[in-house]
Amino acid sequence: MDLLVLRAARTRSAPVRASLCVMGLGQMMCRQWVKGLLYLSALGAFLAYLIAMGGADIAGFFTLGTHEADPWLGTAGDDSILMLLRGLMAFGIIIAVVLLYRSNLRDILELDRSIKAGLTPPPFVKSLRRFFDRRFYVAALALPIAGVIVFNVVPIVFMILIAFTNYGGNNVPPALVDWVGLENFGRILALTEIKDTFFRILIWNVIWALCSTFLNYFGGLGLALLLNKKCVKGRRFWRMFPILAYAVPGFITLLAFKFLFSYGGPINYYITQAGRNAVGFLDIDAGIKARLIGLGVNAWTSIPTSMLLATGILSNMREDLYEAASIDGASKWMQFLKITLPFVVFSTTPVLITNFIGNFNNFGVFYFLRGGLYMDGYFLASDTDLLINWLYNLSIDNNYYSIGAAVSLIIFIITSIISLSVYVRSNAYRKEDTFR
Amino acid sequence: MKWKRFTDLILTHAVLIVVCFIFFFPILWLVLASFSRTGSIYDLSGFFPKAFSLSGYQTLFTDTQMYDYPNWLKNTLFVAVLSSLLGTILVILTAYTISRFQFRTRKVLMKSTLVLSMFPSFMGMTAVYLLMVNFGLINQLWSLVLIYASGAPMGYLVQKGYFDSISSSVFEAARLDGASNFTIFRTIALPLSKPIIVYTALTQFAWPWSDFILPNLLLKNKDLWTVAVGLMHLDETQFTRFAAGSIFIAVPIVILYFCLSGFLVTGVTAGAAKE
Repeated sequence: MDLLVLRAARTRSAPVRASLCVMGLGQMMCRQWVKGLLYLSALGAFLAYLIAMGGADIAGFFTLGTHEADPWLGTAGDDSILMLLRGLMAFGIIIAVVLLYRSNLRDILELDRSIKAGLTPPPFVKSLRRFFDRRFYVAALALPIAGVIVFNVVPIVFMILIAFTNYGGNNVPPALVDWVGLENFGRILALTEIKDTFFRILIWNVIWALCSTFLNYFGGLGLALLLNKKCVKGRRFWRMFPILAYAVPGFITLLAFKFLFSYGGPINYYITQAGRNAVGFLDIDAGIKARLIGLGVNAWTSIPTSMLLATGILSNMREDLYEAASIDGASKWMQFLKITLPFVVFSTTPVLITNFIGNFNNFGVFYFLRGGLYMDGYFLASDTDLLINWLYNLSIDNNYYSIGAAVSLIIFIITSIISLSVYVRSNAYRKEDTFR
Repeated sequence: MKWKRFTDLILTHAVLIVVCFIFFFPILWLVLASFSRTGSIYDLSGFFPKAFSLSGYQTLFTDTQMYDYPNWLKNTLFVAVLSSLLGTILVILTAYTISRFQFRTRKVLMKSTLVLSMFPSFMGMTAVYLLMVNFGLINQLWSLVLIYASGAPMGYLVQKGYFDSISSSVFEAARLDGASNFTIFRTIALPLSKPIIVYTALTQFAWPWSDFILPNLLLKNKDLWTVAVGLMHLDETQFTRFAAGSIFIAVPIVILYFCLSGFLVTGVTAGAAKE
């Protein structure tokens, strides 16, 4: 029982009691006909839905279908995925009705108070207008939140649920899908072929994220510092080139780099001109070469962003610190280590985390450079694939939906643990105010 | 001392030249290749075409039998313009409301967007794909628009930062004068936020303009391909077409970015500022 319901139950007033039992009844007792009727009809519609479909939908959510379609007899069976979705919708409707019920309680309490104070409650249109003004945020956020719920929350919830079923592979409707509990996670962590692939990719993924974040961050910082040097003339001109690289859409850059390293590409042209055999830079047996190319290409696309960021941060830097340091006889390098670096790192920790997670989940680079390669010793993946690429191979290319969903949950757990721990620590930093 | 300064000057500029060359050269290579007379990458001598002509651009727009570039462009424009329009409205509304109003669920909303953004983007996309297949909404440009626009409010932080920086005394004064919240939003907040609206509209435009994952997933029908999906299907023998198509789509975006370069720094830094 929450506070609102308790407060309503304690109020000794007939309309409040009435609305507590039947949504909208109290409002009608106070002669708020339109509002009361709207609440009442919402309740009626909900009850009708519950009897007609909702109950069955909720039951279907738990069974995921019992009758399998029979192609010989031509009988239609249950579509498990549709049942899952309808169950999800039923839960959504129940939540919406609970929220509506609470708004009904809040409304009747306020109405009761104003009547007791001797005021006449405003007519419906006026109260609607007042609601729109006072609760402007509700009206303004309704559409954005609805959009996010439909296109972001529902898919994610759906995927989380899928991780606990055996949906995928050969087991797609019309075959029946079932809840399997933690079996998918068990397969990822225990079944030889999948387990080996998972841990190999995970290790490479962590190495990749660390290396590329480090490279991009310090590359950008270095470039910004270089451009900030007093002796540099024509700063705008020099800055133009990284910004140009930044502005070209990512898929064009990545495809261009694929062509650059392809057999017909210019690099292999010069190699063959020099009388050697063409090198398969991105071939299946390329090994470390492909990984390094990936790092380089990613740096090319990401350094400009971190350069812009570092430039912005550096422009807030206090000059007097450097002056004081040079008077004390600190070398340039010491100044960088003791003043610039702490300041920049301190003010960009959140971005650093976002970058790390962005790199951890960097889909584009290896998808374009060598997507769709399956190597021996890997289950539907290659040695450069990150978890996110593996996820794509599993769920989009090969229909292993449930395993894919389980992998994405694992990715979520890893990334959220990393970000949370760093956020908590950076919070502590902020309170202590170590820098300054 | 003078010598030291001189070598420093030379060294700095030498490094700058190398770095800028690295950033510039791949782009230059594409530009040159787009003017190649022959289409295949094997016909280039290294980085440079053997003969120059405009035929790459010409075939791009006339030879549409296999690769219908004008149609791809039309689809991309349709998706990008509409999602930019819708997305901007949603983002500005969200950012303004969250910045200006204190309400009970505000913190909850902000935290949930943070948690939501931690899920790998693919997870949602796989589900969206499955759902769209289930409901027969695949191969619809409209569904792309809806997905882009409704995902936009999740990235409201930059815009919120902008609204935070507007002094609240203006709004409070209007409130005292009896203006309704909607009037304040329409007559005070919107005119004040022109720059951030432009910034939002452009970023919301640039994202669908250059996205490849979602269209590749949802548009299986060749007539509906966007430029990104189309260009992905060009192989080495169609290199000039690829280069010309890329340059053609990159130029507007590059110009936009250069017009915006002042904003860019603030935009990128805004995410960095701690609350």
